[in-house]
Amino acid sequence: MKELLNTILLFAIALLLGGVITRVRSILSGRKGPSIVQHLHNVALLARKGSVYSPTTSVLFRVAPAVYMGSALLALMFIPIGNLDPIISFRGDVVVFAYLLGLGRLSLVLAAMDTGSSFEGMGASREALYGALIEPALFAVAATLAMVCGYTSMADIFSVARDLDVQMTIVMLLLAYVLVKIYTVEQGRIPVDDPRTHLELTMIHEVMILDYSGIDLAMIHVANWFKGAAIAVLAANAVMLPLCFKWWIVAPLSLVVAVIIGVVESSQARGKLLRNTTYILTVSALAAMLLFVAYLLMLNIEIS
Amino acid sequence: MPLIYLVLLIVPAILIFAAPLRWKVWTAVGVVGAVAVAVCAAAIGVLVDGAPLMLWQGASMAFGREIITMDRLSALFSIIISLAAVATTIYSRGYLAHYLDKKSPTHFSVHYTALVALYVSMIGVVTAAGGFCFLFCWEAMTIASFLLIIFDADKRKTVRAALSYLVMMHIGFAALLAGFALLHARTGSATFAALGDYFGGYAPLPLFALFVVGFGMKAGMFPMHTWLPEAHPAAPSHVSSIMSGVMIKTGIYGIIRVAFALPVAFEGAAVMFPAGAILLALGVITGLWGIILAAFQNDIKRLLAYSSMENVGIILIGIGAALIGKSNSNEILALCGMTGALLHTMNHSFFKSMLFFGAGNIYASTHSTSCDTFGGLAKSMPVTAILFLLATVAICALPPLNGFVSEFTIYLGLLDGISSGGEVLSSAFGLIGLSLIGGLAVLTFSKLFGTVFLGAPRTHEVVEAQEADTFSLGACAIPAAGILFVGLCPIPVFKVIAKIAAPFVPLSDRGLEWINDHALGGAMQGVMITAWLLVVIIVALYLLKRRAQRNREVRMGATWGCGFTQPTPQMQYTGESFSEGLQSIASSLTKDTGKGEAVDKNEIFPSAHEFEVKHRDKVSRLMNEWWAALLGQINRRVMRLRTGNISRYVSYALIFMLLVALLSIFNLI
Repeated sequence: MKELLNTILLFAIALLLGGVITRVRSILSGRKGPSIVQHLHNVALLARKGSVYSPTTSVLFRVAPAVYMGSALLALMFIPIGNLDPIISFRGDVVVFAYLLGLGRLSLVLAAMDTGSSFEGMGASREALYGALIEPALFAVAATLAMVCGYTSMADIFSVARDLDVQMTIVMLLLAYVLVKIYTVEQGRIPVDDPRTHLELTMIHEVMILDYSGIDLAMIHVANWFKGAAIAVLAANAVMLPLCFKWWIVAPLSLVVAVIIGVVESSQARGKLLRNTTYILTVSALAAMLLFVAYLLMLNIEIS
Repeated sequence: MPLIYLVLLIVPAILIFAAPLRWKVWTAVGVVGAVAVAVCAAAIGVLVDGAPLMLWQGASMAFGREIITMDRLSALFSIIISLAAVATTIYSRGYLAHYLDKKSPTHFSVHYTALVALYVSMIGVVTAAGGFCFLFCWEAMTIASFLLIIFDADKRKTVRAALSYLVMMHIGFAALLAGFALLHARTGSATFAALGDYFGGYAPLPLFALFVVGFGMKAGMFPMHTWLPEAHPAAPSHVSSIMSGVMIKTGIYGIIRVAFALPVAFEGAAVMFPAGAILLALGVITGLWGIILAAFQNDIKRLLAYSSMENVGIILIGIGAALIGKSNSNEILALCGMTGALLHTMNHSFFKSMLFFGAGNIYASTHSTSCDTFGGLAKSMPVTAILFLLATVAICALPPLNGFVSEFTIYLGLLDGISSGGEVLSSAFGLIGLSLIGGLAVLTFSKLFGTVFLGAPRTHEVVEAQEADTFSLGACAIPAAGILFVGLCPIPVFKVIAKIAAPFVPLSDRGLEWINDHALGGAMQGVMITAWLLVVIIVALYLLKRRAQRNREVRMGATWGCGFTQPTPQMQYTGESFSEGLQSIASSLTKDTGKGEAVDKNEIFPSAHEFEVKHRDKVSRLMNEWWAALLGQINRRVMRLRTGNISRYVSYALIFMLLVALLSIFNLI
């Protein structure tokens, strides 16, 4: 029962996140803006449309959306919301989660290379690099959580509220901060990437999927929502872990991640592309530092 | 020394030399196959039975008694080596067919004899218990592989690479010889079993370091890896495949034998923990260096050679973690590290063989291995492309294939080291290193597969490329089966390998149960369920999509050029540009040399330009040019003595005689 509720909530969050970001942005910029479910209509429309394939592409191009969506869907199945249980859980499943995202990334990167377009190659090379550099951040976060809680599966880490002191609570808050940063990198949001730009040269994720149309594009969008939901829920979990760790508070909180992203997007411009590697490496370094600080806290060493 | 070595080295040679040209390969296949069947039968017997199989023992020419025995570890390595050797020999039939009318029959005889000798000597290495037999086989292995590399000896580059390989291997051999001699001098025996006695009575770390240098040279450990990227591109593909897939693993084998004989502490000072930390750090450095340099390469085989280095790094991380776990009696860390290392050794032999076979098919059909001349090869060589893709996903350690199973096992150990709070810092170092290596592997191999097999053809050779022959493709069946089986049915494989690993990390009864019960068996079950679910979901989604598309219009249309209407294949993203982002942050690792000039920004109508960049490993300078420069310098100094003046020479002679007289007066000589 708990698993079922968990899954339903995850799907709901996945479907809502994108809408919340758009809403927040339109409110902050003083526009009326589209409805909160407009992106669902867009994707439904895409799914009903026909497709155009380039003669340069091979079968791989047609299989890639299925791989991308399949891996994102499966990755989502590992995520618990608050005290609920995910469908799949075993020792070390954090690694499986990260590598499933990696499989999705590989499939899209290869599909982009398959079109033979220099723009898409450009996007693919950036996506592959940023994906590689953000990987340590995800693992450092997972390692910190594993160390603090003493478990290595997400269901066990996020099972009950932990009794943590103030310092460790701050660490958890910072972990959520890092997870939000990971969200911006993985989802291609400002300041790493800007999906709204009209110049393909400056895009990362969107330029990779330029040649997709119809149901393929719809599948890629949905898979992106799954990925985003997984990371947003993890961030909300990390914040609430030392506090009131209940699903009915974590689930709305993960939508707050979308609010934060919306606020950031309204107030900030896209970073210079060349600075992206520095930015992402800083996030990874911050995550590694958090792990170290948490370790020192575990040893009860005073940090003055 | 047992006669069987000589029999196995000489009889195949006679058979191969006697066979007619077209039958030489089948003679080699027959010999390798027969030996492989016998070895595998013995190895499976050992794995099932558990007790080591004593094959021979007796006195030897040096180093006391010799023992040839097969325990579980030897059995595992024997199976890995045998599978790779059989696949390689079959593959060579297709690959060398192009050379049949170009090279003399003797040339082929030498090549096949060396191939058989390499296989036999590798089996010898992993079954000898140490001492003379071990060193004999080790040297035979080096010489056989040297002969295999220089198959294309007409090319100057090949000979240079082979000679550099030979020199480096002998430096490593010297270290091993010194190690075994030291061992023999102090304990009276030079077998691996005597290491325990030695480490109990003398300082262990110096001897350990000597062995790590000797074995690390073969394994391609940083900074002794510089022969790898030179030798592999020079050698024929099947030779690269067996060298990269299994031969470098004999170095790993040696390190395992030595490292796990170390005591936890010696005279109050910890020994095992520092050794483990050293191997872990070396593993992370080797892995990162290998994968970053691999990402820079634009030659398929050089890239694959560097990626072998990366995988050796991953294996070393596993071994280091196991030692750290053992020293702090964290059983899960020790068991998972060791199991993961052994499993990855096996997995790497599968996917690396397949990748080199793929590279060989490409070379045989287009006579090039430079990434940027290809593009769209998947259309003209579809089977090779699918096999290559399989190996690509496997080597990136992505689910649902075998590379993931072994890396997951290592991760499992490291995460346990962190969550149990015992070895947080070292485990976290390994974990973060491993995750970065994994991420960069995706970058490297998407570049390789993307530029070679996908997109539009850049040259007409690619358009005219032919699919490889049946033998070349058939040989891939063995590694392909391995990749799929380990990936989709990890539980039995994990259990077998964990049982091999268990004696190295003495487990309590509770620890032995972990292999089966919830702790580790459960995790493996989870991996298996995930793998199958993934396959089912992907297939289902693809079929659903196909079904949905049946009622919708599906058109073909040119790739979106963002408004540009005349794109040419030359405008595709090249391998060089694909790794440009990484180069901008890691350029300090290489020395870049460019030939030709890039297009200037101010050229409005650019003329034709030819531009080639080479990324040279900075360490290779340290290992090659630096020594040459030093020798040259010494030489120049010495040359000052040669003045051509006779009176100077007479005075040298006088000084020498005076010196002799003085030294004999003081009884020094």
